[in-house]
Amino acid sequence: MRLRPAFRGTELGLLVWVALLVALGFAAVVGAETEKLDAASLAVPLAYLSVALALHLFLVARGFRGDQLLLPLALGLTGVGLVLVERLAPAALLVQQLTWTIVGAGAFAAAMLIPRDLTAFARYKYTWAIAGIVLLLSPLLPVIGREINGARIWIGLGDILNFQPAEGVKILLVIFFASYLEENRELLARPPQRLGPFAIPPLVYLVPIVLMWALAMGVMVLQKDLGATLIFFGIFLAMLYLATGRATYPALGLVFFLAGAFVMARLFAHVEARVDIWLHPFAEELRFGPAYQIVQALFALGNAGLLGAGLGGGMPERIPIVWSDFVFAAFTEETGFAGALALLALYLVLVFRGMSIALRAPTPFLQLLAAGLSFTLAFQTLVIVAGNARLIPLTGVTLPFLSYGGSSLVTNFVIVALLLRVSDITRRVRGG
Amino acid sequence: MEIPFQIALWGVRLAFLLVLYLFLIRAFGALWRALRAEGELAARPAAAYLVVQTSYPQGPRVSERLPLRVVSAIGRDAGNDVVINDEAASARHALIEHSDGAWWVADQGSTNGTLLNGARIARRERLRDGDLVEIGRVGMRFEAAR
Amino acid sequence: MIRPVAENIRALTLLIALAFMVTSLGVGYWSLVEGAELSRDPFNPRLLATLRDRPRGAILAADGTPLATSVRTGDGYRRHYAERSLAQVVGYASATFGTAGLEAAYGESLIGRDAADPLSQWRARYLGEHPEPAAVRTAIVPAVQRAAAAALGGRRGAVIVLDPRTGAVLASVSQPDYQADLIADPASEAVAWEQVNANEGRPLIDRARLGLYPPGSAFKLVTAAAALESGIDPKAKLRVDDPYRADPSWGQYAVRSPSQAHGDFDMALAFQRSENIYFAKIGLQVGGARLAEYAARLGIGAAPRCELEASRGQIATGQLDRPILVADTSFGQGELLVSPLQMALVAATVARGGSLPTPHYATAVLDARGDVLRLVEPGAAGQAVRPETAATIAAARVAAVEAPGAFAAGARIPGVHVAGKTGTAETPSGAPHGWFVGFAPAEAPLAVVAVLIENSPRGGEDAAPVGAAVLRAALAR
Repeated sequence: MRLRPAFRGTELGLLVWVALLVALGFAAVVGAETEKLDAASLAVPLAYLSVALALHLFLVARGFRGDQLLLPLALGLTGVGLVLVERLAPAALLVQQLTWTIVGAGAFAAAMLIPRDLTAFARYKYTWAIAGIVLLLSPLLPVIGREINGARIWIGLGDILNFQPAEGVKILLVIFFASYLEENRELLARPPQRLGPFAIPPLVYLVPIVLMWALAMGVMVLQKDLGATLIFFGIFLAMLYLATGRATYPALGLVFFLAGAFVMARLFAHVEARVDIWLHPFAEELRFGPAYQIVQALFALGNAGLLGAGLGGGMPERIPIVWSDFVFAAFTEETGFAGALALLALYLVLVFRGMSIALRAPTPFLQLLAAGLSFTLAFQTLVIVAGNARLIPLTGVTLPFLSYGGSSLVTNFVIVALLLRVSDITRRVRGG
Repeated sequence: MEIPFQIALWGVRLAFLLVLYLFLIRAFGALWRALRAEGELAARPAAAYLVVQTSYPQGPRVSERLPLRVVSAIGRDAGNDVVINDEAASARHALIEHSDGAWWVADQGSTNGTLLNGARIARRERLRDGDLVEIGRVGMRFEAAR
Repeated sequence: MIRPVAENIRALTLLIALAFMVTSLGVGYWSLVEGAELSRDPFNPRLLATLRDRPRGAILAADGTPLATSVRTGDGYRRHYAERSLAQVVGYASATFGTAGLEAAYGESLIGRDAADPLSQWRARYLGEHPEPAAVRTAIVPAVQRAAAAALGGRRGAVIVLDPRTGAVLASVSQPDYQADLIADPASEAVAWEQVNANEGRPLIDRARLGLYPPGSAFKLVTAAAALESGIDPKAKLRVDDPYRADPSWGQYAVRSPSQAHGDFDMALAFQRSENIYFAKIGLQVGGARLAEYAARLGIGAAPRCELEASRGQIATGQLDRPILVADTSFGQGELLVSPLQMALVAATVARGGSLPTPHYATAVLDARGDVLRLVEPGAAGQAVRPETAATIAAARVAAVEAPGAFAAGARIPGVHVAGKTGTAETPSGAPHGWFVGFAPAEAPLAVVAVLIENSPRGGEDAAPVGAAVLRAALAR
């Protein structure tokens, strides 16, 4: 990046709106809680907005002339997330989330600077693949591996820095797929070859990535992280389609997935339990037990109406651990269907921007990378919101930027950074 | 809670919703404008052209004018700015760009090489109006605009 | 040539946009469409929070005596119930187990959000104003209620008393019962809940409106109604010879007379002696279709539309077509299943000249100052039989109580004409169920009672005195 500072007017303008949003949000939540509106409630939002401003100034100082939309959107969503953590979770978690936000900002800055050449990423794809597997398996290690809430998917140092490596692996997976598929997409997209009387699609070329993917799936199943399994699988199918344009790949994949899910439901009690909870949450035996979460979430949604019960006015805190998987239900209860619609639209704009950056990228690798990363954001959002609204079973996936959760936040900021870098490369290559 | 406070609180809550929507509208507007600007950029008249001199049966038509931009990627892959669909061309074959006030042609490590006026270029060579560039079985004459 | 990645990106983006739209619709469904339903779910903590934090309106008896009130506890309020025998009617309101009975049916009103005052809902939501809770006045008469509970004693069964003029429920007992007070008290609720649910007598179920039993001879009112409206002359005498087989195809099945009668019976006598063969004969004459029609007109097979859930009952599992089934049904067996409430409604129809009343437990919703917010006065459900038919049946039923040798003699009250019919319903196993269905005074009925005693050795004869005691109390109010 040239070191001539660049004025990023659009970004600044949007950040003003973000500041307003976060300020109003905190005012409403703290006001409802303490029954007065005073200045003390502004400490956390001020801290957050300074971080946001710092990131903006960082980009300005580095002379970054890429996209100006993604960062404010991500910061806006993160800010609303902080408002919700303030509303729903104990104070300690708010401090933690703020800390992770700062870490995320740092990761963002780092990802903007290293590696110097994004395309060089592509050359070390097998390295990334191995690194990914290692990271995935690390929670199984003795010292740093942690088991929290029955799932052995965390690693941590001491008691505070708990990190879910599966989140970071998503990015490595997208990079690996993007580079492998770019090289082999012509082979994979060929029409089925005839071998004597049989027509075989060129599945042979799929072997390396199927292997890699199967390893990831296996690890997930071992660690009982169904959400990550679903996301990885979705990324795999989407990138396959993006690279080849053959709808048969995702179609076949979906068939296998459903078949596999069916088998899993029969074999593993906890999978069957999830499907049961999804289909009959109000059943006598379930509604006070395993289905309690989704039932409370539905009650929260039911209380939403059009304008919601007001920030601080509903009872979303009745949902167990509402601040991670059910922030959407809580947000909807308090800001109504109107609020929920606006939020979903914001995510959609974020994804659209990511996809448009992907469209204009100069090489197929960058196109696949940007599209893959945007898809990851979109897919995660869809999975958790649909789970909240009982359209699909619950999967324990987090809502990007909004949910409480450090690993998710850091990973998503890195994704935004990578997308910004792709937009910058495009701008330099294509002019303007 | 007294009524005035309740009303004020609801005022803040509705303001939040309003700002949320305004933020959304602004963001959407910014997206729209960015896409428009990028679209216009792509539609700008070409900075230069490659006029096809020689081709092969399934290749580009002779005397077709292929537009070039500030930086143009040339090769067999569909993502290139100039697509040469010839087996003898590599997926990413060459790059033609305008920088430091001059036009340059750079080979991207292609298998069969890029020929400038008949000679295979090493890495990067200056390009002048009227030069002949050969990639694969396609020969093109460089024509700077203006 | 393979598709450029750009095209695939566009296609995928379109798919994503569609998925977002579908998801928004899903969210909209729960928040806008199902919202009201979810808010009323008795286990919704938002509803339950109002239970614990603020006093709830009282549920009152007809004379204003409180049946359910909110009392203060250490950290809020809880409910206190005055009359144990009303446990299944008044129900309970617990922050843990939700609400049941009238506490559930009038849940919104009792926390100040009655539908008659829509502004109160709005104010509660947006201004945080705590609306004054409304009170619900029922038609229950404590004296009658206590008499009914005492008369039924410890036996399993139900007693329900209606006011035939309005359809209001004056008393309702279902045994075994339970102490709703213990469930509403957080200190004892866990133990009490477990006990109540473990009790194989199922005390949570209100047998008066939900219990289904074969009606036995009490059903003969319906058969008689169908017969009279089909033109059969009540005074015509039919030959009765025990046992009765209409034709050889009946095989082993035969209608048995309770008194092994051989003689001529008209309708009045048949009522007095509860002669099965007579009713089987006229039932067959009327035919299964018409019999089913009149049973339906009198409310059997459809759930009575009152505030609390009530059973539908059935005339038969399928169609009432086979002659044996028709004969069996005519004297109250067959595949018939009715609730005591439904039988009381049948009697009430007869008592008020043929129009089927709509039962209701509450009579009015009162605001905090005691003024009527709205009245609960559902009208009649329709004219089931002609007034003349009702009169004839009523007369026959008076005879059924007062005539010498009448089976329902146990229901006599000195100085009052009581119209009634006992029933002894055979059960597949064990002792028969005992029914008594009656009203008094016969000329201008003020109370209708239906008594059911499960597995009672002498069937209807055991039920009749219960009916008498209840009617006596009801008339004394």
